[in-house]
Order: sequence, then C-alpha cells, then structure tokens
Amino acid sequence: MAKFAEVFLGILTAMGGFVEIGELTFALNAGTTFGYALLWVVLLGTGGIMVYCEMAGRIAAVKRQAVFSLIRERDGFSAGLLTLVCANLVNLLTCAAEVGGVALIWQLLSGWPYRGLLVAALVFLVVVVWSTPFKWIERIFGLGGLLMVVFAVAALRFDPDWGRVAAGFVPSLPQLGERDTLLFAFYGVALMSSIMLPYETYFYASGGIEDHWKPADVALNRIVVVVGFGLGGALAVALVAVGAEFFKAHGLEPALPGTAALAAADVLGNVGLYVALLGMFFAFAGAAIETALSGAYNLAQFAGWPWGLDKRPRDAPRFAISWVAVFVLATIVVMTGIDPVSVVEVSIVFSVVVLPLSFFPVLAVARDKGIMGKHANGPVANALGWFYLVAITAAALAAIPLFVLTHGGKG
Amino acid sequence: MKPTIELLRDVLDHDIVDASGVRCGIVDDIEFDHAPGKAPTIAAVVVGPGAWGPRLPALLAVVARWLFGRSVVRVPWDDVAELGQSLKLKRRAGEIGLGRIERRAARWLQRIPGS
Repeated sequence: MAKFAEVFLGILTAMGGFVEIGELTFALNAGTTFGYALLWVVLLGTGGIMVYCEMAGRIAAVKRQAVFSLIRERDGFSAGLLTLVCANLVNLLTCAAEVGGVALIWQLLSGWPYRGLLVAALVFLVVVVWSTPFKWIERIFGLGGLLMVVFAVAALRFDPDWGRVAAGFVPSLPQLGERDTLLFAFYGVALMSSIMLPYETYFYASGGIEDHWKPADVALNRIVVVVGFGLGGALAVALVAVGAEFFKAHGLEPALPGTAALAAADVLGNVGLYVALLGMFFAFAGAAIETALSGAYNLAQFAGWPWGLDKRPRDAPRFAISWVAVFVLATIVVMTGIDPVSVVEVSIVFSVVVLPLSFFPVLAVARDKGIMGKHANGPVANALGWFYLVAITAAALAAIPLFVLTHGGKG
Repeated sequence: MKPTIELLRDVLDHDIVDASGVRCGIVDDIEFDHAPGKAPTIAAVVVGPGAWGPRLPALLAVVARWLFGRSVVRVPWDDVAELGQSLKLKRRAGEIGLGRIERRAARWLQRIPGS
C-alpha cells in the first residue's frame, strides 16, 4: 500500500513538474501560429524525455551515480567542462525566466511593483529550499503544478475538432512559403527543446539519489517516467489545443502569463483564472527551484563536492552556496528589466545544443552490461536511445541557424 | 569486480570518498613511479587545479591557472582502500589534506541559522 502511494505521488509530481514557463510559451505559441500541425513534436519530445530520464533514473537507482559524474567520466574532462559551463548557463537563464514569471504572477494578483516582487520571489525561493526537506519540495510544487490541469479542462470545453487533433500527431510539414517553413522548423525545434530541457534529466537523476532509490526501485522509476511524463505530455498537448482553439481563433498573442490565464477564464470564469494563475505560480516556482538545484548538483558532481538537500548546509557548504548563487544571479538577470519570455526563448535554443553532450554519457553507461549488470539497456531502450541521440543532435545543429534566420521566432 | 582495472576508465575522473564516507574530490590525474629498468607502478592519484588544469586546451589551461592556481593534493596509492564506482580511502579527508576549502566554507556557513 505504501508502495502504491509512492508510485501514485511520484506520477503526480512528475506530471505537475513537467510544465514550466518555456513549455507554456512555446506550446501556446505553436498552437496559436500553426494550429495542431506541431502536435507530433510534442509526442516526439515527450518520448525523448521519457527515454533519457528513464535511463538516468535507472543509473541513479542502480549505481547511485548522477548525470554530471557520468559526463565527466565519459565525455572526458575538457568536453565535460564545456558541457558543465553551457548546461549551467542554460540553467541560469531558465531559472531567471521562472523567477521573472513568479514575480509577474504576483504582480497580476497584487499590483505591486515588479522589481520589488522579484526580490520577494528570491527571498521566498531561498527560504523554501533552505528550510524544506527535498521530498516536500518535490511534493508541494509538483502537486501545486497539477492545477495547470485547468488548461486541459479548458481545451476540452473548447470542443476541438478531434480529426484535426489526430492528424496533428502524424509527422508532417505543412505546405507553406519559405519564411513560414523556416518558422515552422524553428517552432518545432524550440517546442521539442522546451519539453526536453536538460535540467529535467539532471534534476530527475539527482532527485532519485536524494530520495535514496535502490536497484529495487528500477520499476518505480519506469512507471513514474512513462505515466507521469506521459500525462505531463498530455498537458502540453492541451496547451497546443488552447493555443489553436482560443488564441488563434481570437487573433490574440499569448504573451505570458496574464493572457495565458485568459483562456481558462474564458470558459471557467474567475475560478478558472485564479486556478490557472496559481497553477502557473507553482509550476514556475517549482521549475526555478529545480533549475537552481540542478545548477548546484551539476557543479558539485563535476567537482567532487558533497551534495544533497538531505545534508545540512554545513555538511555540503559549496553545494548550498551554489544554489543560493544561482537564485541570486537569476534574479539579477531579470532585474535588468529584460522580459522573462525573451530569456526563455534564448535559453531554449541553447539548451538543445547542450543535450547531445549530456545524453551521450547517459546512454553509454546505461547500455554497458559491465557497469549496469542485469539492469543494462535492452534492445528497445538502446534503439530508442540511439534514435533520440541522432534526432537531438540534428535539432541541436539546426537550432542556432534557425534562431538567427527567423529572428528568434518573430518571422 | 572486474578482473582488470582500466586506469582511464575506472580510476581517472572518478569520485574519491574518504574513510567516513564523505566525498572529497575527483581523481584529476594519476602519477606513476618509474625507475630505469623497472615496470612503472602507480604512485598516487592527484587532486586539484594543478592536476586538471593542464588537461585543458592550452589557452584555457592558462586561464584556469590564473583563476584557480596550481595547487594539488597527492593521495598516495597506498591510501586507497577500494576501487569501485568511486575510490574509497583508508583515511579521512583531513588527514590527507583533501576537502580544505569545503571545511573553510562550512565554518563560514555555520553562522547562518538552520545550517
């Protein structure tokens, strides 16, 4: 029974933690701009994050080894260091966007000045992480993020044309002019990247070690990844549908986060509005915490420092200083007045470039029978692992040229 | 345990854990003893910026030396108790000189409530 509760909670937290400000932005925008035509990318990206989180979680359960230890061992020191620097830059930018998002939501609710709320958000996040055990952070923000389900309810209320929805799941390139084709490709890469953000894998594996997973938890890991991320992917589908049915139909641009909540308000009234804003708050704050911790995990694992929220800060001092530093730097980034959504756009493009170097060592270790024994990849995990490594490398190569050619998605 | 040890794969860049189970660094380099006419043997594993710095491309190595210095800590091979996913030591980090910065940071952090 206890085991069942653990699986259930794990699924809910995985689902609630799936969406953050980047995914919200790109899923809504993809729907608004191209209707359902990019749904297959959501499917592809959700599959990819499942495959690699499953492997990373399995390694964490079997060998108690986190992703950046693997990166250093398998990519070599120089390539590993490059991955660390890029990954943590992306973490910092993503964290900045989430902190900005939290402050924007508080501003909508209170009307207080944005910069003051940024400082309040910084203090709030540091105090929460400093004083709350890892398990409770996971649960509070994962379960709070579930309120985003209001967007799925809204999507259903809009009564979408199911034939067109189904057609969107078939990989295809619509007939468009040259500029729109480039824009379509950019949105595809950005949407895939926003679903497969690298911190998710780092955080997931480190979280498994924080939660003291054992080899017996390999099955738990698999269920949580497949069902939890599957439901999270369904939420992303719902966001695309909201974009297609509400924003496209009304000719609105879903600038965040106020306008996004309008879709929920449109069908569910005031309750919908507040539930959507509260869900976004938990989703953004949760992602801010995950990116800050992920930055500290990465650094500590690469450098061989003690790490983990189960240790008192004095027992893992450089780890504690690191996550506080990510929060502070992230707040400084948004303090400049830069729009959190444009920070998201940049961070998402660069995050896809980090993915191949992060995923390769995970695959190399997960498939190694000498290391993983009977828990090594079977043929299916291997085939999927290689498929996604190739796909993500192609996306990484295309990301920056597309970003430049489409002027950051502005067409 | 595998029958043979591959130094580059099983030792280099692996975690070092001291006798009380505290992570205290990563094997940044491996040092050999070699006398003329004798087979080389492992003398020590080396930890610190002076050990990983030179592994970077030349220009970055200069920057790393400038930023982090070139201090190293040599852990004699005789102090290694066990090879596995991580290197387990027979002694505590402090006795070998590892984890100095960590302890300094800890003293500093201890002033904050809840640490």
